[in-house]
Amino acid sequence: MEMLIQDPYNIIMAGVGGQGNVMASRVLSNMLSMKGYWITIGETFGASQRGGSVMSHIRVSATTTWSPQIPKGKAHIVIALEPVEAIRILMTYGNRDVNVLANTRPIHPVSVIAGEYNYPNFEDVKKALEGMSSHVWLIDATEEAMKLGNPILSNIIMIGAISGLGLLPVGLKDFMTVIRDTFPEKLLDVNRQAFEIGREKVAKQTSGGGSPAPKSPKKVEHQRKAK
Amino acid sequence: MRVLLMGNEAIARGALEAGVNVAAGYPGTPSSEIIENLSRVAKERNLYVEWSTNEKISLEVAAAASFAKLRAICPMKQNGVNVASDFLLHLAGSGTRGGLVLVSCDDPGALSSANEGESRHFARMVEIPLLEPGDFQEAKDMTKWAFELSEKIKNVVMVRSVTRMSHASGNVWFGGLPDKEAKAAFRFDGPLLDPESGSVSSLPVSHSHPVQQGKIKKAQEIFEESPFNTYQGPKKPELLVITSSVCNLYCREAIHLLGLKDRVGLLKLGTTWPLPLKLVKKYLLTTDKILIVEEVIPFLEESVKILAAEQAREIGIKTFYGKKEGTIPMTGELNADLVASAFSKIMGVPYAPMEPEYEKSSKAAGGSMTPGRDLTFCPGCPHRASYWSIHKALQLDNRKGFVCGDIGCYSLGLYPAGFRAVKTHHAMGSGLGLASGFGKLDAFGLDQTVMAVCGDSTFFHAALPALVNAIHNRANVTLVVFDNGGTAMTGFQPHPGLTVNAMGQEAPNLDIARICEAMGAKVETRDPFELEETRSTLNRLMEEEGTKVLILRQICALSPEKKGKKRYTMRVEETRCLGDACSCNRLCTRIFRCPGLVWDQGKKKSRIDEVICAGCGVCADICPASAIIREEAV
Amino acid sequence: MEMNIMGQKELHKEVREAQFCTGCGACVNLCPYQASYRDEVITLHPCDLKEGGCYAFCPRTPTDLDALKKRLFDPKDLMPEIGAMKGFYITRAADAKVRAKGQHGGTVTTLMSLALQEGVIDTAILADEGQTLLPQGTAVRDPAGVRKRGKSRFVVSPNVAEFNRLAKEGGKKIGIVATPCQGLALAKMRLKPLVSYADRIDQLKLVIGLFCGWALSWRNLVALLRKKTDLAEIEGMDIPPSKYHILQVYTKKGSMDISLDEINPCVRGACWYCPDLTGEFSDISVGSARLSEGWEEAKGWNQVIVRTERGQQLLDLARERGLLEFREVPGGNLKKLKTASMSKKKTAVKNLILRSRDPQNLFYLDSKDPVLGTLARRPE
Repeated sequence: MEMLIQDPYNIIMAGVGGQGNVMASRVLSNMLSMKGYWITIGETFGASQRGGSVMSHIRVSATTTWSPQIPKGKAHIVIALEPVEAIRILMTYGNRDVNVLANTRPIHPVSVIAGEYNYPNFEDVKKALEGMSSHVWLIDATEEAMKLGNPILSNIIMIGAISGLGLLPVGLKDFMTVIRDTFPEKLLDVNRQAFEIGREKVAKQTSGGGSPAPKSPKKVEHQRKAK
Repeated sequence: MRVLLMGNEAIARGALEAGVNVAAGYPGTPSSEIIENLSRVAKERNLYVEWSTNEKISLEVAAAASFAKLRAICPMKQNGVNVASDFLLHLAGSGTRGGLVLVSCDDPGALSSANEGESRHFARMVEIPLLEPGDFQEAKDMTKWAFELSEKIKNVVMVRSVTRMSHASGNVWFGGLPDKEAKAAFRFDGPLLDPESGSVSSLPVSHSHPVQQGKIKKAQEIFEESPFNTYQGPKKPELLVITSSVCNLYCREAIHLLGLKDRVGLLKLGTTWPLPLKLVKKYLLTTDKILIVEEVIPFLEESVKILAAEQAREIGIKTFYGKKEGTIPMTGELNADLVASAFSKIMGVPYAPMEPEYEKSSKAAGGSMTPGRDLTFCPGCPHRASYWSIHKALQLDNRKGFVCGDIGCYSLGLYPAGFRAVKTHHAMGSGLGLASGFGKLDAFGLDQTVMAVCGDSTFFHAALPALVNAIHNRANVTLVVFDNGGTAMTGFQPHPGLTVNAMGQEAPNLDIARICEAMGAKVETRDPFELEETRSTLNRLMEEEGTKVLILRQICALSPEKKGKKRYTMRVEETRCLGDACSCNRLCTRIFRCPGLVWDQGKKKSRIDEVICAGCGVCADICPASAIIREEAV
Repeated sequence: MEMNIMGQKELHKEVREAQFCTGCGACVNLCPYQASYRDEVITLHPCDLKEGGCYAFCPRTPTDLDALKKRLFDPKDLMPEIGAMKGFYITRAADAKVRAKGQHGGTVTTLMSLALQEGVIDTAILADEGQTLLPQGTAVRDPAGVRKRGKSRFVVSPNVAEFNRLAKEGGKKIGIVATPCQGLALAKMRLKPLVSYADRIDQLKLVIGLFCGWALSWRNLVALLRKKTDLAEIEGMDIPPSKYHILQVYTKKGSMDISLDEINPCVRGACWYCPDLTGEFSDISVGSARLSEGWEEAKGWNQVIVRTERGQQLLDLARERGLLEFREVPGGNLKKLKTASMSKKKTAVKNLILRSRDPQNLFYLDSKDPVLGTLARRPE
């Protein structure tokens, strides 16, 4: 079992109800659990499905089960299926060292649709995210997913992107192992494609400069859980 | 084998490992996945799994299995325990035979409820043992053990979970699955009061109540040695924290965050009623400062304080921290931050979760950029169309009419999503119950039009007796039944109005229209997507006397048979949509508020978001300029 | 002429909540936020526009009636008691069949069908019988259709809503039968206060006003009549001169007299604040006649005030074609009509002051109006 950059390593997957946030967090968690890590997932779903903000907190640890919700200010990576949700998450869970991976396609809240609020423009969102994090990767996951035939594949593209970042020890093989058990056979190929597109997208951005690793990686000693 | 499981999945697994035979429940967030998981393996594991009409009946169904020497589980959300409580009280008095476990999933913070009521008090009130798993492994292990305990003391055992346990996931090691055959037999021909072979009843109470209390005493003795009560920390801690349920994980993390593992002792109780007195007393002796961390109401806190008062001579005076004195908030759910703040205050250790600079700058940057996401109906939801027509009908009726609401997705009728048509909102079936009352107040000069709404599942669960009441008492009420073909809010489970049951088998369905007619109501059925027809039917019914029922039948947008299939292709004809230049003041986006219909800030016109639009076609009928075009999808 | 135009929010507060709404329909069919249902105007949803036609055209938002009259009529014709008068007549339809289908003399029916026939208008908006006792505005294009709809309704028909709907389509010549409040709304439209509706009012070619004492609220009327008779049997209603103090209801089984004491509680509240008896904003106004022979004879005739050139031309044409019979106007009739009209103005002003407790505050009326202002200062 590879050592984690941080223990617990705290991942937040955020989005809007209906984007497949829960399924995506489950897939990623299973990929990590398979490798022997202790995983705790905390989710807010149910009422929030009806257009509300949703988030999954994933704690990855070599030693124990942690609280299902990440404490304030302690996220290590935020994966947002919707760009404004990334900002919302960072306001509570962000810190200087956090990494952000965000889908670019906005989903307008009903208050914006109704003309009561303005949805911020993309440049402002990008700037805000950069100011609130160590590094930001922006991916047009929905557009790529639509090219593949289904917008819901955007969350698989994001998982591929996480893999591409190298912050977590997960790759294509792990992904295929997990989905082989849970997805119908005829969907396996298109999901694989989505995963690989995600990896490519990040590779392109990283090669353009800027290290994918957080500013100050800390090594963590394995803590034997006292029980 | 180690698996990543949701708390509810772990509970289901625990029941399977205990050899459960029967599972009955009613959908209720956060409990629904337990029955869903068991129904998925029903055939393979030879189970009978049922979505009962309501929680009281589900407990009765499970109890029947127990009386016939089978093992049964009955999961429900906190409100379900309220519904089942009268039977639960008598069941606790009569006792059980096969292991019977009642799983109650509370919702601190009311994440999916209209209350954050507590079910733990029922254990104390009806005098049955209460278990609270403190992590995902315990969710499985304690559920399994609960069956053994139930058979040892011959009474129902309550296992209490919360949203952040039931819907969170963690690693669980599986045990084996038993393969013994179950044979149901209900014995009753022995001596009347014999628990195994007599009648099953709480009568005579003078006999059964002392027996029941004896069972509680026995459970208490068992609890003194239970592995589910654990202690972690120094022998003589400065602060003793007593906790249960998922707060266990919050406390552990808070200790870690503040580096207090050598100063704070954590007593995690898995058996919280009756309290294992000797065990708790042992730890109360170790220090004078006690903090009790729990959700929601100070149930554990009160039990511990009573114990401390009774044992004061031996253990001394203690300083208690918790909800009563304000360190832990009295309402809402907890998390590691709130617990850490509590520790920080008591132990004098600073806790600054976020760097003040970051906190300030991120709030400034983010504050204006994160418009709130109000809850709304899904695109294609029939309730949006129904409430549109109900609201319009009430306005045209012009008598300050109102709707008494009920539980379901359609609860959103309280908000702009439902055009604020709903003006009261309480429990399952309360909409029609209240309306039945309002509908008789014309004798006191109430000249407002009274309406009630309920879903198809709610209709069977609780509205039936209210309907009887309204008809028999000649209440002037119009009931609208939102029939969307399933119990949608909790995940689209089946109910008696459908032709399929929890195990996916064919089942006879009950016809709501015929039932209402047989009861004597005036009944009509419409498709809510036909706006004008629905509206004119409502206006006509509102003017008639007595109890009227309008069934609005249109399947839920998330139902398996409809999801992803668009009936219409929608678009906004740009030449016809005048945007802000139209005098419509953006009726479609500002008032109708379907997420699929978006205001394009650039063009200053409306447009359809084809990713979100479900193709129901309703919006085409609301645009005064007929600018929204609908075409049958190929 | 200055007009302070506000929006739906203010309209709701100043008119609807204040119970001044007459149900005229001027605010309906301009947008999707108001609708008329039965005899009420309903707000369906809140609108947050700052200015709207609803407020601009409503006859119960602040209006300088004096300036409006001077703008739309020849100032020489203006009489303080009854508005512009070019001529005062007593007429009835020459055709007995038309009179039978009409309320009194059948004059309105005659004039409207003549206007259609001559192409002065191509569409006439009249009140038609909807469900029981409930009128609705109907557009009629053939002269025969006018005759079918001759009876008076004592419940408001929101005809202006129908005008708004038709005018939006464009390219028409519209005539309308209007109560005084409806006439006022149409007159306010003539000022063209809002660019977006400016071209619609040009399609209005003829307004035949009705004399009006008050209108009854449908709900209350139906509740009252239901206790006395089978509603399906009702064929018509009438109000004889005030000395009789009754409402007459004509049923298939005969006629029924109901004391006005029972009827008054059914009157639309807003009507008690209306200063216009004779429909002062019209081309021609028509009411029931008063004759020395008494009501039995008079109820077959109409009193007619011609106010504009257009109105005069139409009346003259009707006379020329022998469609209308004329008879001599008894000596005191005009004076009696002026007295009656002033009485209604006094009542309106008195009620407004009772509400406001301030003689300077007449709500939507101008306390500086030469006629109304005087009444306000001398409240007897």
